[in-house]
Amino acid sequence: MAETLISALVAGLLVGGLYAVVAIGLSLIFGIIRVINFAHGSFLMASMYAGFWLWHLWGIDPYLSIIIVVPLAFLGGYGVQHFLIRPMFQRERTYVVEPLGVLLLMAGLDMVMANGALLFFKSDFRAVTVLYGSAAIRLGFLTIPITRLVLLVISVFLAFGLSWLLSRTELGNGIRAVGQNREAAALCGLNVYHIFALTFGLGCAVTAFGGCAMLPFYFVDPSMGLPLAIKSFIIVVLGGLGSIPGALLAGLMIGVVESVGGQFVTATSASIFSLIIFLFIVFFRPKGLMGVLEA
Amino acid sequence: MAILEVNNLTKRFGGLTAVNDLSFTLNESEILGLIGPNGAGKTTVFNMIAGFYKPDNGRVVFQDQDITGLKPYEVCRRGVARTFQVTKPFLDSTVLNNVMVGAFMQAHNAAEARDIAWKALETIEFGDRADAMGHEINVPDRKRLELARALATGAKLLLLDEPMAGLIPSEKGHIIDLLRKINQEGFTLVVVEHDMKVVMSLCPRIILMDRAMKLVEGTPEEVCSDPKAITAYLGEEYAARDPEPRR
Amino acid sequence: MKQRSISFNWMAVAFVLAIAMIIPFVLEKHPYYVHIFILVFLFGYLSTAWGLVGQSGQLSFGHAVFVGLGGYTSTILFMDYGVTPWVGMFAGAIVATLFGLIIGYPTLRLRGPYFALSTLVFGLILQTYVVNTQMLGPINLRGAMGLLLPLKNGGDAPAVFQFATKTPYYFIALAMMVSVVLLSYLLNRTRIGSYWTAIRSDQEAAESLGINAGRYRLLAFLLSCALTALGGTLWAQYFHYINAERGMALSLSIEIVLVGVVGGWQTVSGPMIGAMIIIPISELLRAQLGGGFAGLHTLIYGLILMGVILWLPKGLNPLVMRGLKWLGDRLWSTSPSVRTPEDSGR
Repeated sequence: MAETLISALVAGLLVGGLYAVVAIGLSLIFGIIRVINFAHGSFLMASMYAGFWLWHLWGIDPYLSIIIVVPLAFLGGYGVQHFLIRPMFQRERTYVVEPLGVLLLMAGLDMVMANGALLFFKSDFRAVTVLYGSAAIRLGFLTIPITRLVLLVISVFLAFGLSWLLSRTELGNGIRAVGQNREAAALCGLNVYHIFALTFGLGCAVTAFGGCAMLPFYFVDPSMGLPLAIKSFIIVVLGGLGSIPGALLAGLMIGVVESVGGQFVTATSASIFSLIIFLFIVFFRPKGLMGVLEA
Repeated sequence: MAILEVNNLTKRFGGLTAVNDLSFTLNESEILGLIGPNGAGKTTVFNMIAGFYKPDNGRVVFQDQDITGLKPYEVCRRGVARTFQVTKPFLDSTVLNNVMVGAFMQAHNAAEARDIAWKALETIEFGDRADAMGHEINVPDRKRLELARALATGAKLLLLDEPMAGLIPSEKGHIIDLLRKINQEGFTLVVVEHDMKVVMSLCPRIILMDRAMKLVEGTPEEVCSDPKAITAYLGEEYAARDPEPRR
Repeated sequence: MKQRSISFNWMAVAFVLAIAMIIPFVLEKHPYYVHIFILVFLFGYLSTAWGLVGQSGQLSFGHAVFVGLGGYTSTILFMDYGVTPWVGMFAGAIVATLFGLIIGYPTLRLRGPYFALSTLVFGLILQTYVVNTQMLGPINLRGAMGLLLPLKNGGDAPAVFQFATKTPYYFIALAMMVSVVLLSYLLNRTRIGSYWTAIRSDQEAAESLGINAGRYRLLAFLLSCALTALGGTLWAQYFHYINAERGMALSLSIEIVLVGVVGGWQTVSGPMIGAMIIIPISELLRAQLGGGFAGLHTLIYGLILMGVILWLPKGLNPLVMRGLKWLGDRLWSTSPSVRTPEDSGR
């Protein structure tokens, strides 16, 4: 019994690492720009397809493809913020309902990207096979796949790296300033829209990093984005708006809760857990676990 | 007859005390001016009376009913209406529809509301712009709109938060006349204002607040010659000079 | 001028309605086109009902749930308890209203995006539950199988809301859509509509004028849930099948949102106009391109949605209204009249 529980715990942490790595980018975007990036899952999917095709066509190892995909994701994110979302902010000077407008815009983008992928890549699941794909560490009764462990490590690394960037660098200061008070930041000479775009790009880049690291063990298909995006929203809200470490912690928690919970209740109920947690947080503790800002 | 009684009203935001133990009485058909430097706590007082903030201490009694801590819409239902310093028109609606929203407080149906709204607009002399959209009108007109809307609710007490802000002197004179007219029709007014000329000519009684507390209360002349008032606005050295009666 | 415009509008409406009544007979040989019209009316109905929540300022991303609740309630009552769907549909509305109360009460006061996400999450929870559950106490939900409507008398049984041809469904759907748009229009002319507009424009100002924002938003939401559920029964009866997989799906919620937003989601006639544009496009695309281009029509949905948000944030409604007004000015002779107070633009 204890063995199954510990196995579930470990498995939960590993899954949690995956959830976290997807959620961290969203946490940055959500926390600073305050837009609900409905298309977040599709960005992940796009970066994974990029990595897949790099492997499929030219044999580039997924971890190496990070070097190519991440900058591309950054540019893509920058472009989305600059060309699509910025006009919405500028229009805010009139009486258009802005947060919902951006939400709908990104929902539309998500539809376009997911179905574009469907059209071009078809709905078959794609998988990358690498030599080390089935390598695992054995600790007593535990079998820990290396690729998943690496992803967990990457998620922690990305979370702390991003936090360091935000708190110790000038760029990070600028980003945080803009996140706290747009007008004041602009009055201090910061180019707010440029920083928004940088932030969005950064968020997408981080997500792409995680996405490539997921390739060795995770199937890619056009519709994989939305469920992960929804989970990411839950994690971001649970972790607390404006907190990257919070997103990491929340991701791990959700992973563990689902995995351990799945030992006691049906798989169905386990999948609803995270949804219920979301509602709970939104109703009773909008700050989340480590939130600095109110939901 | 006292229409409003404010007793020991206190409000703290974290470590900052915005309003400290404020008390005053307001009689029916009075016009009371509430003045003071920025940050004195005037708008916070309004917000507490109108129900947007819950006082940490103290009571607000309107027409012998305790309205302390009631929600804003409940306060309005009892007969207290307020305008906002930065106007809040309903941008997507016409001026008439804006005022109708207020009118529904007294009206039983849309036709009645429309009549009441027209009357309010006529009182404010704003009827010619009834069809203009909320987002089309300029600042003085938005002020008029706020007034008309508040009037239409049938409230007995009107809390006016800087009704002159953003207006040029000629426009101010017009609004002052309107406010006097409204007052003569039986409405009680509390006006937060910065412009001393306005306050002097409009308000027979003034309360001066500074740093969360009531400093002076009295007629405009009394308040202006009080050394405490001068200190509040201009600093101590001016107060040390011989006070002269202000005209 | 307004007097003239109003009478033109009503004349135009009557004219369009008259044509609408003839169509099923004209198209008797082409049931597929009648089918498209029925879909237009169905989605026009659902989106207009959804739009009531929008009029009070919130955007629901989980409305498919109420479609499902309505359809499931009336169908289970019919299949297992012999209750005719004509009565069952109102039971469905009651069930939906109860769920609406549970969902709406805690969520309506949240800010826009959080409300939207919460309704989405609620929708997922309920859908997942129904898909994976066979029995709920004595009630047989049939899980993922869904509910297959048993045909009575070979599908020709008006007493239990079953008809042999498409024509009756056409008229029912048309009647429902027209009724709900009319309801929305009438509500707008009353205190309720006025208050809804106030709440969505500026809640603080509205409250300072005596409006209990929470109560009026809840009213909008509950009304919307009940009406949507009635549409769910129509869905079940027309398609002869309803399941949680599709009937309570996020994709359906998004379709309803799309139709509403493209048309103009905070207006009376917007969602209906949105349905008239989106549904025929999507159906024809699906028919022409078939399986080889799976996903194309949703991609186009996405492009349309993005285009509307970026360039026509109020949807197509203002354009259509202006077009109709232009038409009215051309067809009616000009005679200036006194400008009378009119309701704010639809």
